[in-house]
Amino acid sequence: MYNNRRLALSIFWVVIGLVLVGLSIAEKLDSSMYAGMGGALAAVGALQVIRNLQYRRNEEYREKVDTEVSDERNRFLRMKSWSWTGYIVVLVEAIGVVVAMILGKETVQLVLAYSVCLLVGVYWLSYVVLSRKY
Amino acid sequence: MKNRIEEIRNEKGIRQEELAKLMGVSRQTISSLENGRYNPSILLAYKIAKFFGMTIEEVFIFEEE
Repeated sequence: MYNNRRLALSIFWVVIGLVLVGLSIAEKLDSSMYAGMGGALAAVGALQVIRNLQYRRNEEYREKVDTEVSDERNRFLRMKSWSWTGYIVVLVEAIGVVVAMILGKETVQLVLAYSVCLLVGVYWLSYVVLSRKY
Repeated sequence: MKNRIEEIRNEKGIRQEELAKLMGVSRQTISSLENGRYNPSILLAYKIAKFFGMTIEEVFIFEEE
Protein backbone atom coordinates (compact mmCIF):
# COMPACT_ATOMS: atom_id res chain seq x y z
CA MET A 1 0.00 0.00 0.00
CA TYR A 2 2.70 2.45 1.00
CA ASN A 3 5.58 3.09 -1.38
CA ASN A 4 8.48 5.50 -1.87
CA ARG A 5 6.33 7.98 -3.81
CA ARG A 6 3.84 8.14 -0.94
CA LEU A 7 6.66 8.63 1.56
CA ALA A 8 8.16 11.40 -0.59
CA LEU A 9 4.75 13.08 -0.85
CA SER A 10 4.26 12.88 2.92
CA ILE A 11 7.68 14.47 3.51
CA PHE A 12 6.78 17.14 0.92
CA TRP A 13 3.62 18.03 2.91
CA VAL A 14 5.66 18.28 6.12
CA VAL A 15 8.18 20.60 4.43
CA ILE A 16 5.48 22.77 2.84
CA GLY A 17 3.65 22.93 6.18
CA LEU A 18 6.76 23.94 8.09
CA VAL A 19 7.64 26.56 5.45
CA LEU A 20 4.15 28.08 5.77
CA VAL A 21 4.40 28.12 9.57
CA GLY A 22 7.92 29.60 9.36
CA LEU A 23 6.84 32.34 6.96
CA SER A 24 3.86 33.19 9.17
CA ILE A 25 6.08 33.42 12.28
CA ALA A 26 8.55 35.60 10.37
CA GLU A 27 5.54 37.74 9.37
CA LYS A 28 6.25 37.27 5.68
CA LEU A 29 2.66 36.13 5.24
CA ASP A 30 -0.22 38.35 6.31
CA SER A 31 -2.89 35.92 7.37
CA SER A 32 -2.75 33.60 10.39
CA MET A 33 -4.73 31.23 8.20
CA TYR A 34 -1.45 30.17 6.56
CA ALA A 35 0.03 29.24 9.94
CA GLY A 36 -2.99 27.06 10.71
CA MET A 37 -2.95 25.53 7.26
CA GLY A 38 0.79 24.91 7.51
CA GLY A 39 0.45 23.35 10.94
CA ALA A 40 -2.30 21.05 9.72
CA LEU A 41 -0.31 20.07 6.63
CA ALA A 42 2.81 19.34 8.69
CA ALA A 43 0.81 17.30 11.22
CA VAL A 44 -0.96 15.23 8.58
CA GLY A 45 2.30 14.75 6.66
CA ALA A 46 4.16 13.69 9.81
CA LEU A 47 1.39 11.22 10.66
CA GLN A 48 1.61 9.75 7.16
CA VAL A 49 5.42 9.45 7.45
CA ILE A 50 5.07 7.61 10.78
CA ARG A 51 2.45 5.25 9.33
CA ASN A 52 4.56 4.68 6.25
CA LEU A 53 7.65 3.81 8.31
CA GLN A 54 5.62 1.55 10.60
CA TYR A 55 4.24 -0.20 7.52
CA ARG A 56 7.76 -0.88 6.28
CA ARG A 57 9.19 -2.03 9.61
CA ASN A 58 6.31 -3.83 11.31
CA GLU A 59 5.23 -6.97 9.46
CA GLU A 60 2.13 -7.46 11.63
CA TYR A 61 0.98 -3.90 10.96
CA ARG A 62 1.69 -4.31 7.23
CA GLU A 63 -0.45 -7.45 7.12
CA LYS A 64 -3.25 -5.71 9.04
CA VAL A 65 -3.23 -2.66 6.73
CA ASP A 66 -3.11 -4.80 3.57
CA THR A 67 -6.05 -6.90 4.79
CA GLU A 68 -8.07 -3.81 5.74
CA VAL A 69 -7.44 -2.22 2.33
CA SER A 70 -8.09 -5.30 0.19
CA ASP A 71 -10.92 -6.77 2.31
CA GLU A 72 -13.94 -7.13 0.02
CA ARG A 73 -16.46 -6.16 2.71
CA ASN A 74 -14.52 -2.96 3.40
CA ARG A 75 -14.52 -2.20 -0.33
CA PHE A 76 -18.25 -2.86 -0.44
CA LEU A 77 -18.78 -0.56 2.54
CA ARG A 78 -16.67 2.20 0.97
CA MET A 79 -18.64 2.03 -2.28
CA LYS A 80 -21.95 1.86 -0.43
CA SER A 81 -20.97 4.89 1.66
CA TRP A 82 -20.17 6.90 -1.47
CA SER A 83 -23.47 5.81 -2.97
CA TRP A 84 -25.40 6.93 0.12
CA THR A 85 -23.43 10.17 0.20
CA GLY A 86 -24.49 10.91 -3.38
CA TYR A 87 -28.16 10.17 -2.69
CA ILE A 88 -28.20 12.22 0.52
CA VAL A 89 -26.46 15.21 -1.09
CA VAL A 90 -28.88 15.25 -4.04
CA LEU A 91 -31.86 14.91 -1.70
CA VAL A 92 -30.67 17.65 0.67
CA GLU A 93 -29.88 19.97 -2.23
CA ALA A 94 -33.27 19.30 -3.86
CA ILE A 95 -34.98 20.16 -0.56
CA GLY A 96 -32.71 23.20 -0.36
CA VAL A 97 -33.91 24.38 -3.77
CA VAL A 98 -37.54 24.29 -2.59
CA VAL A 99 -36.71 25.98 0.73
CA ALA A 100 -34.68 28.69 -1.06
CA MET A 101 -37.57 29.22 -3.47
CA ILE A 102 -40.01 29.66 -0.56
CA LEU A 103 -37.63 32.06 1.20
CA GLY A 104 -37.05 33.98 -2.02
CA LYS A 105 -33.26 33.37 -2.04
CA GLU A 106 -32.84 33.23 -5.79
CA THR A 107 -29.05 32.95 -5.88
CA VAL A 108 -28.99 30.06 -3.39
CA GLN A 109 -31.83 28.39 -5.29
CA LEU A 110 -29.93 28.70 -8.58
CA VAL A 111 -26.63 27.42 -7.15
CA LEU A 112 -28.33 24.41 -5.54
CA ALA A 113 -30.35 23.66 -8.68
CA TYR A 114 -27.19 23.75 -10.83
CA SER A 115 -25.44 21.57 -8.29
CA VAL A 116 -28.23 18.97 -8.47
CA CYS A 117 -28.04 19.09 -12.29
CA LEU A 118 -24.25 18.63 -12.14
CA LEU A 119 -24.53 15.64 -9.82
CA VAL A 120 -27.20 14.01 -11.97
CA GLY A 121 -25.03 14.69 -15.04
CA VAL A 122 -21.99 13.10 -13.38
CA TYR A 123 -24.12 10.13 -12.34
CA TRP A 124 -25.41 9.67 -15.89
CA LEU A 125 -21.89 9.98 -17.36
CA SER A 126 -20.51 7.48 -14.84
CA TYR A 127 -23.31 5.08 -15.68
CA VAL A 128 -22.55 5.30 -19.42
CA VAL A 129 -18.79 4.83 -18.88
CA LEU A 130 -19.28 1.91 -16.46
CA SER A 131 -21.86 0.20 -18.67
CA ARG A 132 -19.30 0.17 -21.48
CA LYS A 133 -16.64 -1.22 -19.18
CA TYR A 134 -18.74 -3.99 -17.59
CA MET B 1 -28.26 -15.95 1.65
CA LYS B 2 -27.84 -18.43 4.49
CA ASN B 3 -24.63 -20.37 4.95
CA ARG B 4 -23.04 -23.05 7.09
CA ILE B 5 -19.68 -21.33 7.62
CA GLU B 6 -19.97 -21.11 11.42
CA GLU B 7 -21.14 -24.72 11.69
CA ILE B 8 -18.37 -26.10 9.47
CA ARG B 9 -15.76 -23.82 11.05
CA ASN B 10 -16.71 -25.07 14.53
CA GLU B 11 -16.63 -28.68 13.33
CA LYS B 12 -13.10 -28.15 12.08
CA GLY B 13 -12.08 -26.22 15.20
CA ILE B 14 -10.98 -23.10 13.38
CA ARG B 15 -11.28 -19.65 14.91
CA GLN B 16 -12.74 -16.70 12.98
CA GLU B 17 -9.35 -14.96 13.04
CA GLU B 18 -7.63 -17.98 11.52
CA LEU B 19 -10.21 -18.39 8.77
CA ALA B 20 -10.06 -14.65 8.04
CA LYS B 21 -6.27 -14.74 7.74
CA LEU B 22 -6.36 -17.76 5.45
CA MET B 23 -9.01 -16.15 3.22
CA GLY B 24 -7.22 -12.78 3.17
CA VAL B 25 -10.15 -10.91 4.69
CA SER B 26 -10.84 -9.24 8.01
CA ARG B 27 -12.36 -11.06 11.00
CA GLN B 28 -15.37 -8.73 10.76
CA THR B 29 -16.02 -10.05 7.24
CA ILE B 30 -16.16 -13.64 8.50
CA SER B 31 -18.41 -12.54 11.36
CA SER B 32 -20.76 -10.69 8.97
CA LEU B 33 -20.84 -13.70 6.64
CA GLU B 34 -21.76 -16.03 9.49
CA ASN B 35 -24.51 -13.70 10.69
CA GLY B 36 -25.89 -13.44 7.15
CA ARG B 37 -25.42 -9.67 7.11
CA TYR B 38 -23.06 -9.77 4.14
CA ASN B 39 -23.11 -11.93 1.02
CA PRO B 40 -19.65 -12.81 -0.30
CA SER B 41 -18.38 -12.35 -3.82
CA ILE B 42 -18.30 -15.51 -5.92
CA LEU B 43 -14.52 -15.51 -5.54
CA LEU B 44 -14.63 -15.48 -1.73
CA ALA B 45 -17.45 -18.04 -1.69
CA TYR B 46 -15.32 -20.29 -3.90
CA LYS B 47 -12.24 -19.81 -1.71
CA ILE B 48 -14.18 -20.64 1.48
CA ALA B 49 -15.83 -23.70 -0.07
CA LYS B 50 -12.51 -24.91 -1.46
CA PHE B 51 -10.82 -24.43 1.91
CA PHE B 52 -13.48 -26.59 3.58
CA GLY B 53 -13.17 -29.17 0.78
CA MET B 54 -16.78 -28.68 -0.25
CA THR B 55 -18.79 -27.24 -3.10
CA ILE B 56 -20.25 -23.75 -2.90
CA GLU B 57 -23.77 -25.25 -2.70
CA GLU B 58 -22.76 -27.25 0.35
CA VAL B 59 -21.61 -24.16 2.21
CA PHE B 60 -24.01 -21.52 0.92
CA ILE B 61 -27.76 -22.09 0.83
CA PHE B 62 -29.53 -20.23 -1.94
CA GLU B 63 -33.06 -19.12 -1.11
CA GLU B 64 -35.51 -17.43 -3.48
CA GLU B 65 -36.42 -14.05 -1.99
